[in-house]
Amino acid sequence: MRPGRPGDTGPHAARRRRTGYLFSFPGLAFLALLLAYPLLYNAWISVHDVGLSGLLGGPEPFNGLANYRATAADPAFWHAVRLSAVFTAGSLLFQFTLGFALALLFARPFPLNGLLRSLLLMAWLLPPVVSGTLFKWMLDGDSGAYNALLRSTGMGALSHDWLNDPATALGGVILANVWVGVPFNMLLLLVGLHGIDPELHEAAALDGANAWQRFRRITLPLMRPVSVTVLLLGLIYTFKVFDLVFVMTGGGPVDATDVLSLYVYQVFFTSFRFGRGAAAGLLLLAVPLLAAALYVRRLRREAREGEAA
Amino acid sequence: MKPPRRPWLLTATAAAITAAFLLPAYWMAATSLKQPDRILVAHPQWVPAPVTTVNYTAAFADGALARALANSLVISCGVVLLTLLLAVPLSYALARLRMRGSGTMVLALLIAQLLPSIVLAAPLFILEHRVGLDNTYLGLIAADTTLTLPFAVIVLRPLLQGVPVELEEAALVDGCGRPGVLLRVVLPVMVPGLIAVAGLSFLLGWGEFIFGLTLAKRPEVQPVTVVLNSFVGAYGTSWGPLMATATIVSLPVVCLFAVLQRFVVGGLTAGSVRA
Repeated sequence: MRPGRPGDTGPHAARRRRTGYLFSFPGLAFLALLLAYPLLYNAWISVHDVGLSGLLGGPEPFNGLANYRATAADPAFWHAVRLSAVFTAGSLLFQFTLGFALALLFARPFPLNGLLRSLLLMAWLLPPVVSGTLFKWMLDGDSGAYNALLRSTGMGALSHDWLNDPATALGGVILANVWVGVPFNMLLLLVGLHGIDPELHEAAALDGANAWQRFRRITLPLMRPVSVTVLLLGLIYTFKVFDLVFVMTGGGPVDATDVLSLYVYQVFFTSFRFGRGAAAGLLLLAVPLLAAALYVRRLRREAREGEAA
Repeated sequence: MKPPRRPWLLTATAAAITAAFLLPAYWMAATSLKQPDRILVAHPQWVPAPVTTVNYTAAFADGALARALANSLVISCGVVLLTLLLAVPLSYALARLRMRGSGTMVLALLIAQLLPSIVLAAPLFILEHRVGLDNTYLGLIAADTTLTLPFAVIVLRPLLQGVPVELEEAALVDGCGRPGVLLRVVLPVMVPGLIAVAGLSFLLGWGEFIFGLTLAKRPEVQPVTVVLNSFVGAYGTSWGPLMATATIVSLPVVCLFAVLQRFVVGGLTAGSVRA
């Protein structure tokens, strides 16, 4: 008779634990080796003087907080922090409002709703390198589609070499990132809208509330928890954007779009200052980690409330 | 919500918005089909006429694109395989076999999928170089799997929790071992979740750029995203071949999404709003 049968508790439980560890071992070992260890190693490099010679096995003396101090003293770092803040805030503002508007539209039943929604999602699924290349071409100064649109609608005076002008390059990159982000925001907000009890709207309509009043008094307050979650996720995903900006401008012109992720890349992979790059990387990590902590707290609270309800 | 009075009006509005929104994607495909002398002009044609394939011929001319596509295919399939191989037993253990610390594990995975790749790429670059994994398929597949594995476990674990324990216990009584139960009872129930995870892992591997850029310097293993980016630098204004390349890179994404849409959308929302 086999020991692993329901009912025989003692050895059964021990056996189950053993099987559990056995099953989870490959996955956990992988995550330890390729995720946890590299991140710890990153922290280790950040307090050591590691350069190209370190890659070849040279000496790597401990240098305390020197890498952090050097990073904090670098004006380019603070410039990157400011650009990341503007990039993130601009992207979030537009992708959330546009996503919300689209979600309101797609929350209503109409023919072809599912098909059109899927088509919109395409924009989000395209590899960021493709979207970046695409928008570089759309925003091209001489033959870009946006400038052609402006010219053909009599607004040719506004046509512009968007990505090659430091004043407009960041705006162009934000535009591309909003394009990528809108469908994702719409999808998650749509899930929230579907969770609102339609009877609330019907009752309010019977009481004479017009569409705007129902939106202000019912939809908006009930969408608040979902909105905060979507914005936190958006913050995490936008703050770390690298490929899109890298492909569109490479951080330029000059340093007009040199957001924090690109700064880390340049220090680490172009200047080969591994110690300083690792330190800057950990600083880049701080914001998403903080947002992630808030996000996880919300998820847990929602789960608890879900169980209570 | 009650059905709107004029549903087709809503359809027309939504269709117009969708069309305007997808203009960049249309423009990519349209440009790729235009004759080179019709591309760099002040008043471009909105519909390519006559349609030509010269941009595609040019894009494939030196063989770099074909090799990069093959590399990306190998890498993406590798990512799917490795992800499933590691994620299925791990999610099962976390879902069923009440181990100590499994709650913390799930939390850590949730946070892991939110990390900026560049912060991981930096130390991985040094570590993979030391063990000779840089410039190999395996090095790239392993790096990409750090993105897909946390996500896969977060999607699969709730599904596994939904498999009735009685079903498994019946199989155990009938003499299946735990691995047998996993293979014959549990796996069939979770097929939709597996399809979602496989599809999304493939898409992630196909579109991944940061690890490709930093961990693969040799063209022999470089994924197509990195090659597309180097085309952008090298052929600055040859937008025809560039858009042809971008279109080719997008095609598998579009096809896969069209086929697996239902699963993929479910997996996406599950991965980000559930824990």
